[in-house]
Amino acid sequence: MLEIKDLSVRYPGGDQNALTDIDLSLSQGDFVCILGKSGSGKSTLIRSINSLQKPTAGEVFWQNQQLSALSEEELRKVRRQMGMIFQHFNLIPRLTVMQNVLTGSFGYRNSLKNLIGLFTKEEKQEAHQVIADVGLENMADRRVELLSGGQKQRVGIARALLQRPQVMLGDEPVSSLDPGTSNHIFSLLQQMHQTYHLLSIINVHDVELAKRYATRIIALKEGKIIFDGPPDQFTAKQFEETYDSRQAMVQKEPATN
Amino acid sequence: MWFKRRNLLTLFILCLLIYFSMRLTEFDLSKFRDFRNMIDFLSQWFPMEYSKLPGMISDSMETLAMAFLGSIFGLIIGLPISFLAAWNTAPSKYLYHLSRLVLSFVRSIPEIVFGLILLTALGLGPFPAVLAITFHNIGVLGKLISELVEASDPGPQEAMKAVGSKNWFAHLFSILPQIWPNVLSHYFYRFEVAIRTSLVLGFIGGGGIGQRLFNDFKTFQYSSVSLDVLIIMIIVICVDLLGSYVRNRVI
Repeated sequence: MLEIKDLSVRYPGGDQNALTDIDLSLSQGDFVCILGKSGSGKSTLIRSINSLQKPTAGEVFWQNQQLSALSEEELRKVRRQMGMIFQHFNLIPRLTVMQNVLTGSFGYRNSLKNLIGLFTKEEKQEAHQVIADVGLENMADRRVELLSGGQKQRVGIARALLQRPQVMLGDEPVSSLDPGTSNHIFSLLQQMHQTYHLLSIINVHDVELAKRYATRIIALKEGKIIFDGPPDQFTAKQFEETYDSRQAMVQKEPATN
Repeated sequence: MWFKRRNLLTLFILCLLIYFSMRLTEFDLSKFRDFRNMIDFLSQWFPMEYSKLPGMISDSMETLAMAFLGSIFGLIIGLPISFLAAWNTAPSKYLYHLSRLVLSFVRSIPEIVFGLILLTALGLGPFPAVLAITFHNIGVLGKLISELVEASDPGPQEAMKAVGSKNWFAHLFSILPQIWPNVLSHYFYRFEVAIRTSLVLGFIGGGGIGQRLFNDFKTFQYSSVSLDVLIIMIIVICVDLLGSYVRNRVI
């Protein structure tokens, strides 16, 4: 469903590749967690999948379409099949939960109707449905800046779901949330993954979370894949290699100072 | 440390600039020795003359209308241009530079110059004054709003892009809600400035309470002048209050 072939990305002015020769094949039903240190290329990889980041070399294929060869109009059609959630949620401030979620349908619209804020009954019903899916049914008319971090990310997920996506991309969606909330968000992502038969690709810093929820773990280091396999094969050795450290693996023990 | 040679030098240059500017402007506090004249003059302003009040009020309405139209047209035309003139929303480099150039151009010409040209070309009255205020405000509001657009959070815009929305949808829906309170702030400030501008345009034949003030002054009817000034102050304060009320409702 999603093929990445020899993908390399180098940022303008950079002296090193952010990604080098990435080859991946991902299919529907995979719940993929991408691990790696900051600067390892996780974010670049996620952003390459919906072409927010253009490749320097190599290609991304979505359902056999080569992304870089698409016209802007065709790319929009691909993007609307891929929901995306962000570390800082990227909600539109001063709008309500409902209004933010409804922006998820913008990929399907070209008309002036959006401009005057007119949405059809079906769209509103669908939005209510996804807001209920993420557990915010009582907050539809609340402005998003009044929500907690976890609630904001739920709005982000609802917005992505309104796209009727086949892929859910997460660019460190829980990195600014506390551990308990992160766990809730991941279990929600897993639930939605199953309900909507998604391919989920999520960047995460917390190895425990990845091992608990992922069906497949990919570890990046300096822009290269150093591990790709099921979670139970991601052991202390792989951890050490990914993060250049051993101590973090014992983080479950209470801190002594 | 604060007390550096460089800072001393700056202080010295600043003093020098102040000195020369005072020379150039014939700044001379000793002129206040004749302060009694001022008191004599101001005493002629009172008591106020109320007989012309109805005319003054209708002229004030004209001034308010001039300022409102000039600033609102400035906003309506300047707002779309500001999106062309912001680097993060400009559809092309060419349009970006062109629109910035146009904005700087209309901004650099003072309203009074537009006023002198238009009043001569179109005849006396408030209409040319409205146009003069409009032109200048397109430049000012366009520039200010384009700065707001550039300073807006790129996150929501990226989210709209990822959703697959068209570019101009993304810009409109992700940026406008963010900057709207500040846009209103700028607008109401410019409205207030436009009231003062329309007074000056009244002096050169643009109508309104400004023209009346000027005529009263030139014909030595100081007891009317005082009432004109009072009315103008009330208008400005009212617009300021209205502005903060609307802003608070929106934020």
